Amino acid sequence: MNPEFLLSAIIFVPAVAAFLLAFFDSRNVEVIRFWSLGATIITFGLTLALWMQFDPAVPGLQMNVAAEWIPTWNVWYRLGVDGISLPLVLLTGLISMLSMAASWSITKHVKGYMVLFLLLESGMMGVFLSIDFFLFYVFWEVMLLPMYFLIGVWGGPRKEYAAIKFFLYTLAGSVLMLIAMLMFYFDTGATVESFNLVELAKVAAGAADAKLATTLTPSLQITAFILLFIGFAIKLPAFPVHTWLPDAHVEAPTPISMILAGVLLKMGGYGIIRIAFPLCPYGAQYAAYALVAIGVISIIYGAFAALAQTDFKRLVAYSSVSHMGYVLLGLAVWKINEGTGATIGGDFWLMGMNGAMFQMIAHGISSAGMFFMVGVIYDRVHHRDLNRFGGLMAKMPLYGGLSAGLFFAGLGLPGLCGFIGEVFVVISTWNYSPLLAIIAASGVILTAGYILWAMQRVYLGAEYKGPHAEDITPINGREVAIAGTLLALAIVLGVYPRVMFDVMSTSTTELVESLKTGYQKAATTVNQSQAQR
Amino acid sequence: MVGETLRNLLMVAWLLPLAGFAIEIFGGFWGKRTSKTAAWIAVACIGTGFLCSASALVLWGNSNGWTVLESDGHGHADAAHTEAAHPEPGHSEAADSADTAHSKQTVYSGTLYSLGKFGSLNVSLDYYIDSLTLTMFTMVTLIATCIHLFAIGYMSEELTEEYVDHHAHLSNGHHVHRPGRFYRFFAFLSLFCFSMLGLVLAGNIFQVFIFWELVGICSFLLIGFYTERKSASNAANKAFIMNRVGDFGFLIGLMVIWTYFGTFQFGPTSNADGVITDPGLFGMIHRDAAGTLLTDPVTGDVAITTVDGTPAVDGAGQSRTIPYSLLVVAGLGVFAGCIGKSAQFPLQTWLPDAMEGPTPVSALVHSATMVAAGVYLVGRFYPMFVQEVLLTIAYVGCITLFVAATIAIVATDIKKVLAYSTISQLGYMMLGLGVFGWGAGLFHLITHAFFKSLMFLCSGSVIYGCHHEQEMTKMGGLWKKMPITAFTMLVGVIAIAGLAIPGVIAFSGFHSKDAVVASALAFSDANPGHFLLFIMPLITAGITAFYMFRLWFFTFLGKPRDMHVYDHCHESPWIMTVPLLVLSVFAAFCAVGGEDGPLYQLITGDEPTHVAAGIASTQSVSGLTLPGHSAIHDVHSKAGALALFAAVSGTVIAYVLYGTTLVNLAEVKRHLSGLHSFLWNKWHFDELYDALFMKPAHIVGKFCAWVDKSLFDEILHGAARTCVIVAKWDRLFDEKLVDGFVNLLSRATWSVGDSLKVVQTGKLRQYVMFIVVGVVTLFAVLFATFPR
Repeated sequence: MNPEFLLSAIIFVPAVAAFLLAFFDSRNVEVIRFWSLGATIITFGLTLALWMQFDPAVPGLQMNVAAEWIPTWNVWYRLGVDGISLPLVLLTGLISMLSMAASWSITKHVKGYMVLFLLLESGMMGVFLSIDFFLFYVFWEVMLLPMYFLIGVWGGPRKEYAAIKFFLYTLAGSVLMLIAMLMFYFDTGATVESFNLVELAKVAAGAADAKLATTLTPSLQITAFILLFIGFAIKLPAFPVHTWLPDAHVEAPTPISMILAGVLLKMGGYGIIRIAFPLCPYGAQYAAYALVAIGVISIIYGAFAALAQTDFKRLVAYSSVSHMGYVLLGLAVWKINEGTGATIGGDFWLMGMNGAMFQMIAHGISSAGMFFMVGVIYDRVHHRDLNRFGGLMAKMPLYGGLSAGLFFAGLGLPGLCGFIGEVFVVISTWNYSPLLAIIAASGVILTAGYILWAMQRVYLGAEYKGPHAEDITPINGREVAIAGTLLALAIVLGVYPRVMFDVMSTSTTELVESLKTGYQKAATTVNQSQAQR
Repeated sequence: MVGETLRNLLMVAWLLPLAGFAIEIFGGFWGKRTSKTAAWIAVACIGTGFLCSASALVLWGNSNGWTVLESDGHGHADAAHTEAAHPEPGHSEAADSADTAHSKQTVYSGTLYSLGKFGSLNVSLDYYIDSLTLTMFTMVTLIATCIHLFAIGYMSEELTEEYVDHHAHLSNGHHVHRPGRFYRFFAFLSLFCFSMLGLVLAGNIFQVFIFWELVGICSFLLIGFYTERKSASNAANKAFIMNRVGDFGFLIGLMVIWTYFGTFQFGPTSNADGVITDPGLFGMIHRDAAGTLLTDPVTGDVAITTVDGTPAVDGAGQSRTIPYSLLVVAGLGVFAGCIGKSAQFPLQTWLPDAMEGPTPVSALVHSATMVAAGVYLVGRFYPMFVQEVLLTIAYVGCITLFVAATIAIVATDIKKVLAYSTISQLGYMMLGLGVFGWGAGLFHLITHAFFKSLMFLCSGSVIYGCHHEQEMTKMGGLWKKMPITAFTMLVGVIAIAGLAIPGVIAFSGFHSKDAVVASALAFSDANPGHFLLFIMPLITAGITAFYMFRLWFFTFLGKPRDMHVYDHCHESPWIMTVPLLVLSVFAAFCAVGGEDGPLYQLITGDEPTHVAAGIASTQSVSGLTLPGHSAIHDVHSKAGALALFAAVSGTVIAYVLYGTTLVNLAEVKRHLSGLHSFLWNKWHFDELYDALFMKPAHIVGKFCAWVDKSLFDEILHGAARTCVIVAKWDRLFDEKLVDGFVNLLSRATWSVGDSLKVVQTGKLRQYVMFIVVGVVTLFAVLFATFPR
């Protein structure tokens, strides 16, 4: 298939399907559901086609699309894909499809829900595929609004509070991103390429073939990096701007929790690796220690907070905070020689970055699975109090077994996906800072603690202790299909992680190289100006 | 060629149980609860695995002409089995051509597939096959086969649609009724066998870590097999989490190794032409003939060497080194993992609780194989351990063996006694390795695996026969009822106690314990400051004999203490007794010949090169002399005599106390009640850890949750409230001030107009008068303002 068409199709198929839903009779609930499921299946199929066409040996973005959109502001419709975005596009297609299949539990205003859901998918795909800063920003906001309504209308008892909290938090982040975007735009002369992320990255790296003439000064890089980082850290989420996440997760309906954990959080990590790092290598290195420290704090803090939860879903939400800390940690373990500006042990950083990328995929699978498993039992007994479960392994053996697999994936058990991401990140950290590496490694104890303790309270024990015991029915075929797919993928990724690493490695290697040179150039100018003084 | 066949054979042995697991867990779920198919599949898988392992061992021996068995006494000084000198990796067939002077190739290593490659860094799954690997494979598969067979009988009560669990209660006081889970038990056992064999086959330390965790989770699943019992799930959690504490250390070790060596592989990697490209960890640390590490002349750090033993340089031309202290950290880190897995002090408390699992699990996982994995890893990773680490290992083992043995004296649950005895024996192995008795420690590993799995199965047979009664206080006189069990148990007891008639007959435990004690004596002779390392195991040898014979006398001799139990007791069926007999043969005779016998020679065939000669104190960093083979040989008979004396004394005391009625036991217990309760409460470790770690962790957790709720969110809510208040003021400002002013104006205008309407009279004269007054006033004002 023509790559231009393919990329646009991936983004707009769900949106078109959503538009066509308007002509459906809203009483035909089953038709609407199958139509929407079909749309997500087609979209996932298209992402698989994209994977087939993708050439992992080519560095940089491929299948580029460029068309003028708003000429007066130099805004272009630029799309492209590389080894960093492709895994996330695949993940988005997959999780959207599975959470759409999980949406059978939604019975209220089904049509409205499906329209918003599909628009959300379009927004998410757009974020991962656009390489024009303005377009990226537009998709970022497009994705925000459906999410607000999906939580606010279909959520739990405190849905309004959670929806507004989510919306305002993210909006605060995107305002900072907007400022940074305009800084880059005007600093590079407001030319045709000034929103082009590829060209901006070239300037930052000091590449010879850069089309934009200006160099981004170190001080601009630092300011812009901090603005961008706060924006993306909210999404990630990193300590201490994570408090929207537990509320949003707890109140959101199950499929939306799956999307939130499976895809939306990844946008934070993606933004850092796609925008914040390449555009401000100097700023990134300047803030590296803070980033690593925040990552480590998130890991430990999230794990401790998870240990104290009594709401099953809240516990899984905090485990997300903990697991996403590894992403930040892996991205930022960039050690340099202060004197020369040369990178020390660049391969370890490369490993950390790959590990972080892998962790995003792995977490997308394991946490979506965990949220789904919480949803399955919630649909039956309508409560999530950890102290009022028990004995589910005996009542729902297949459900218990699948849950155990997915929770073990979250626990970081070897052979399942969580292990590779976590351990690769952690062992690449010692090169950067032994102290932080040790603290991060101690997370393995806490993770085992909260996951096993939760499993014990929910699945093990002699009997079920909560209400609605009579409603506990065995897991049905649709649910088995969803959980089984996620568990199978967790095993495949855990046993043969090269599936993803082979896609990523060329792009991450190129990124690391360009960051190194970009930092070195900026550091040289800083040293010169200090010497002149 | 040989390497490839060996690899394939062991991989079949390794992967078959995994296939078995998949079939059993799914087939069992959809199959009949009363079907024994799952068990037979499991037995077939592990049995075939044993055949593969045994043929691999034979093939390996034939290929090198069984050179390792040509005993050269205890000298063993020739250092021909250098790991670095054996390239076969990359599955190339150039192996034999690269052989070194003396012997045929005995070590085969290579890569299975890569997990991830980042620049020069490569994480992969490898294999590493030497005599230790093969011995472990054969031992594990043999014992596992026996235990699988035994379990078919032991678990047969699960072959039902409605199993009644007498140890799990519902809130209404009834027992739990549930479908039997026969198939699930065998599925978990198969998964465990896969993980354990993977651990042994692993060719790099990272891969060991992978399977390390996997055996941990299998142990978790098997301990918690009776998921309905709170005590079982608690024990399972405790086991996994305490292991994770050790693994935290393991991870630190991995990080140091990864950062400084840039590889995890044990053995060398070679390219397609058979040229070694990467020496592997064991080749990157170079020791000279006296065992001293090669150091960098400038920094004094330990040099990292290339294939040929010369210092390696990095891309920038700097020589690659690792600070000695970090080498210690790496060693201690890896050993921390071993502490957790092998239940050594201070992480020993999980193992007794792990007895909540079915008895075959205790026999396989928690005595013979998994808990010995820590010892195995110490042996495997030996070349990377420096003296300080070895000393730590020795002391940890020494403390463990004593503490656990003392607790075993007072325990009355038959499985708990065996559990503490396992911990104690693992301590012996660690001690042996720590005092440079590399062969001795691993020798004890193998013999212990046989006699301890035998004893656990015997205890299982007793428990099965007594209808799940585990308290020895309710047993007694059982030898009449179950003679085979009593006899095989006695074999195990004699083996572990180390009783023998020197020169005539000696069971396996005698030889291996002898070897450990001899190494300890040689070590304390060379380093008199560390005399405890010899005294403690010697005393404990006596304690061991005491508590083991106490167990046997308590259970099988004397008068029945509980007639109900006694009357219903029966000997187990053949499927359980045959494995007992098989194992008892191995427990008795596997170590025949002692250190000149085939087993010891086989284990030490690929001994790390620096062990044979020992390390002299003058050149060691911490002033420790590590005895070589000849030094150990010199003190062997003395150590053996002392150990035998201790064992005999222990046995005699046990007989006097429990075999006869000469002493009033209750009286003794009353006199020593303080000591008894201290030991009964297991030295209070559980309480201590609860107060030190568990409670604080939960408090910190609560604190973090509180911070989120009451600090971050409150700040946020505060900000939101401020916004609302500002907005309210805004509204007030708009409504009261701005609008008020405008309204005031309008009202004023209105009222002025309203009040003026009275002058609207329609009377012409009045209007003219207003005009005149107005004009006059205007003029007056005009002239007043502008006088000119």
